[in-house]
Amino acid sequence: MVLELQKPRPIWQIMFSTHHTDVGLMYLITSLIFLFMGGALALAIRAELFLPGSQIIADSMTFNRMFTVHGTTLIFLFLLPFASAVGNYFVPIMVRYKDMAYPKLNAIAFWMIPPAAALIWLGFADFTWYANPPYSIISAPGPAADMWIFGLKILGISSVLGAINFIVTILKCKHPDMSMGQIPLLAWSFLTSSLIVLVAIPTFAAALFFFFSDRLGVSGFFNPAMGGNPIAYAHLFWFTFHPEVYVLVIPAIGMMYEIIPRFSRKPIFSHSSGIFAFVLLSMVSFSSWAHHMYATGMSFTEKTVFMIGTLAAVPASAMHVFNFIATMWNGRIKFATPMMWAVGGIALFFSAGAGGVVNAAMPLDFQTHDSYWVVGHFHLFVMGTIAFGSIGFLYYLFPYVTGRMYNERCQEESMIILQSQNGLL
Amino acid sequence: MKSILGLFLVLAILVIIPAAHFVFAAGDEPDGYLDRRVVIWNLFYRMMTVAFTVGAVVSGTMIWLCWRFRESHPKATPTPYEKEGVW
Repeated sequence: MVLELQKPRPIWQIMFSTHHTDVGLMYLITSLIFLFMGGALALAIRAELFLPGSQIIADSMTFNRMFTVHGTTLIFLFLLPFASAVGNYFVPIMVRYKDMAYPKLNAIAFWMIPPAAALIWLGFADFTWYANPPYSIISAPGPAADMWIFGLKILGISSVLGAINFIVTILKCKHPDMSMGQIPLLAWSFLTSSLIVLVAIPTFAAALFFFFSDRLGVSGFFNPAMGGNPIAYAHLFWFTFHPEVYVLVIPAIGMMYEIIPRFSRKPIFSHSSGIFAFVLLSMVSFSSWAHHMYATGMSFTEKTVFMIGTLAAVPASAMHVFNFIATMWNGRIKFATPMMWAVGGIALFFSAGAGGVVNAAMPLDFQTHDSYWVVGHFHLFVMGTIAFGSIGFLYYLFPYVTGRMYNERCQEESMIILQSQNGLL
Repeated sequence: MKSILGLFLVLAILVIIPAAHFVFAAGDEPDGYLDRRVVIWNLFYRMMTVAFTVGAVVSGTMIWLCWRFRESHPKATPTPYEKEGVW
């Protein structure tokens, strides 16, 4: 893509291209646009909460709408497309194939994002990104809620198409001389996270279908007045969206696996343990969804099982952290911008993980449930680990893609500011 | 690979034994409830003791690692991979 700057093409040629680097760049630009949009909403939310009472947002309904679109935008329109951008750009190169397995499907998956984003932003629903019934099916005003449902439905289809493409590209299109054990860890991270998407997303697609039919009044799956159970929605939602956290964090760890050996001037300490930890994380991601629901009246045995299931993620996460430490050990570390972000990301991964252990322990979960502790834990993951890994990789990627260099000092300052902000979380 | 599998086996045993013990302890009779609360809080305190200890060690190691192995450190030397010209 360095050639792009030397011999620019018309924008429409890039937009309607199916080549993996072009699609990757479009994913990247789209995700960054939504980072700014979702970030602007976060600024407004924090400014509103700076003091008690109404500050800059007119009423609570508007606040709830901004809150909903902030969460939906940053998860579905920034983090997921950013991971897709990196995957599209690098997976075919890493498995030594000319393009993704299904280039047209790849472009279609990308072009589903703008209409879905338009539905979410023009609707501006008000029921938070988890849309808990019965409020969301009985009282949430339409058509905003319905637009949100269709927006997420389209994004779900886009994610599944992208996941199929990654899996087929890695498993079937890799160079014949390349064994699975030789595939770079970044590509492994996309393989495992795509497998999670393939299992998790259809569950939420079904939940959205029931959810929409409940809103239309033709069914009552989640409507207590019609004999339904809102807890069933919570189970379906968290069965998808707890693994979804791993869909976001696994590629970020994969990106760190590219940065840390490069700037430590050593190969990764243990390639096989990285693969093993990715596979383990993808499996245990499905054993912990109900830890979001301890307060819903589950039995002691169920809670115990999900507590243990959640804690099973600790060994896999620790394997990654120890792999990073062992890679840096005896290296000659160059603290360039990507490395600073990656090291910051590891520190925050550790902090966020420690918070996760507290949340998983059911006695304390009852104290922290629905409190800002959980919000802090979640943001340490998404704005800490995932965003730090992603932004670090963006700086790693930038000279490679554009042939230009950014201002190092400026980026180091931005990293320190964001690290301090995450410390306040 | 064998060492990794061995490590995983040890970790799995460390997780599975308390888990199995715990699940069997969680009977359905109501009079056991108070005991289970005591057991689980006890487990929580033990876990947090381990978590804070490991956390302090790992965080301290990371900070020392970044300080000691930075390229501007007086004792910094090229890695073997740089000497061989493969990195």
